[in-house]
Amino acid sequence: MQIATQKDTNIIKAPPQKSLSPWAMARKKFVKNRLAMISLIFLVIVAIISFLAPFITTADITKVNIGQMSLEPSGDHWLGTDKAGRDVFTRLLYGGRISLLVGMSCTLFVIVLGTMIGSIAGYFGGTVDSLLMRFTDFILNFPFLVFVIVINAILFGRVSGLWVLIGVISLLSWGGIARIVRSKILAEKENEYIIAAISIGCSPTKIIVKHLLPNVLSTIIVQATITFATMIVAESGLSFLGFGVPQEVPSWGNMLSSAIEPDVMQFKLWIWVPPAIIITITILSINFIGEGLKDAFNPKSRR
Amino acid sequence: MLKYAFRRILGMIPMLFLISIVVFTLAKLMPGDSLSGEIDPRNTNPQYIAEMREKLGYNDPLPQQYFRWIGNFVEGEFGKSARYKIKVSDVIGERVPNTLLLGFTSILITYILAFFMGLYSGRKPYTLGDNLIGGLNYLGLSIPSFIAGVFAIFFFSFTLGWFPSNGSIDIGVTEGTAEYWLSRFHHVFLPAVVLGLLSTASYTQFLRNDIIENSRKDFVRTARAKGTPEKKIYNVHILRNSIIPLITFLGFDLVAIISGAIITETIFTYPGLGQLFLQSVGTRDYPVLMTLTMLFSFLTLIGNLVADVLYGVVDPRIRLD
Repeated sequence: MQIATQKDTNIIKAPPQKSLSPWAMARKKFVKNRLAMISLIFLVIVAIISFLAPFITTADITKVNIGQMSLEPSGDHWLGTDKAGRDVFTRLLYGGRISLLVGMSCTLFVIVLGTMIGSIAGYFGGTVDSLLMRFTDFILNFPFLVFVIVINAILFGRVSGLWVLIGVISLLSWGGIARIVRSKILAEKENEYIIAAISIGCSPTKIIVKHLLPNVLSTIIVQATITFATMIVAESGLSFLGFGVPQEVPSWGNMLSSAIEPDVMQFKLWIWVPPAIIITITILSINFIGEGLKDAFNPKSRR
Repeated sequence: MLKYAFRRILGMIPMLFLISIVVFTLAKLMPGDSLSGEIDPRNTNPQYIAEMREKLGYNDPLPQQYFRWIGNFVEGEFGKSARYKIKVSDVIGERVPNTLLLGFTSILITYILAFFMGLYSGRKPYTLGDNLIGGLNYLGLSIPSFIAGVFAIFFFSFTLGWFPSNGSIDIGVTEGTAEYWLSRFHHVFLPAVVLGLLSTASYTQFLRNDIIENSRKDFVRTARAKGTPEKKIYNVHILRNSIIPLITFLGFDLVAIISGAIITETIFTYPGLGQLFLQSVGTRDYPVLMTLTMLFSFLTLIGNLVADVLYGVVDPRIRLD
């Protein structure tokens, strides 16, 4: 509309005006979504503060300090100290580092693995498809929590650490993404431009990477957001049960697990309420961002 | 329909077989004699242990061990618990009613809450009440169950004192009386609500959106045009159409309850299967652990199957593929 009117009035001087690309449109819509933007800013702030934790606080997170056990919040310790005399605020920052790191790495692995398997199955179809999809079904049929705990019990004492946990979680949870990507690719590859690409002799890798994936990227991004939230819940839940991040490493889930003791839960709120609240708000904001992205990528939504 | 369900069930068998191989391999990888429980731990005489190992067949080739294990498993012979020194089936059997009660109550609460909230929200969308319910739903979807559990215990058990914070029954209540069942429900209520939180939120959201969508359809306009009262349109015409797709969630509920039970039962120290599972990991009670892993996998499989078949019931086009 705009272009047309401009051409009418000032036909020579008007510079060629490009219409917005789908990505720019989505970005514009997303920026306008107040809830999603606030969530995004909050999440970025939490991430920055957490990852810069060593530069922000100087308190030692590992040292057990018998003289300062279970202190209430004060000027010295903003959120008090836990049962081992460690500063809760400092641990919250370091915990955020671990929780977000685990969440992000798992999301990355899950998305990469799921997208790879899903797009290969979807593009090639036939035997490849049915083999890969049976395998996906097989993975999806494992009760996630049960198997993570069992595998952790096996690995206990042999290898332990963050990356083992990340690996186990990732290997058990890519199934859903693979299914979604496959169905999207299946629909997308029927388009003429793909047939054209095949006819001029593009290799399958090139077609998938250059032509198909950019067109299903919006779906993958939305799924990645949801996965990120799920992974943070999975990590903190496992740590809460004592099967996640090693006990000596502070993570939000590990910090929360002290609430199991009735004494802490009832009378030492400052130890367990901060991690509980920060986990909930983080998940909530990730969900809002996901909703915002879904809305922004949807050309039918009116906002 | 029957043919479709039957085909699905047949497809389940190889899956179950594969899963049993995985579980067996995992058990073999576990430190110590993973299938033991029969060996007397007090007797550390190496000769005795070697004899017992031979007798129990731990020196046989792996495939042979696998087939013996799976054979026994199919016959319902799960071995002996390493910790309790009684049959695994007895240990598990003792806990099953508790978890069944928890799961059943949770589904019931979910249905009742989601039904009324979804109905209200769908009928009066974008009003204050709808936004309030929507906000609650967002919270329900975002708050992880272990945090919800901790907060629930803090508020309702410790601060208000309305519900007990642990166990499944008061001490000293005789079985079979009305008081007994009351106490059971009193104990199960809080964990059941926490367990059903996520599904309540998603059920409500689904029902609301479906009612809104249906209320714009032609059959509703026809009903309005011929003067059907608004109440009847919503409670009869729309509700019938909106409630059917909900049954497909039933299968996923089953899956969600299994993993949910592990967390919820641990927080509320509710003596069910989930708690037993974590205990058996902690105490390295491998026979119980393996049986429970198989049981949970089997139930997940059933849950996915039920979801698939119900999809076929609701949407007949799916049956073709």
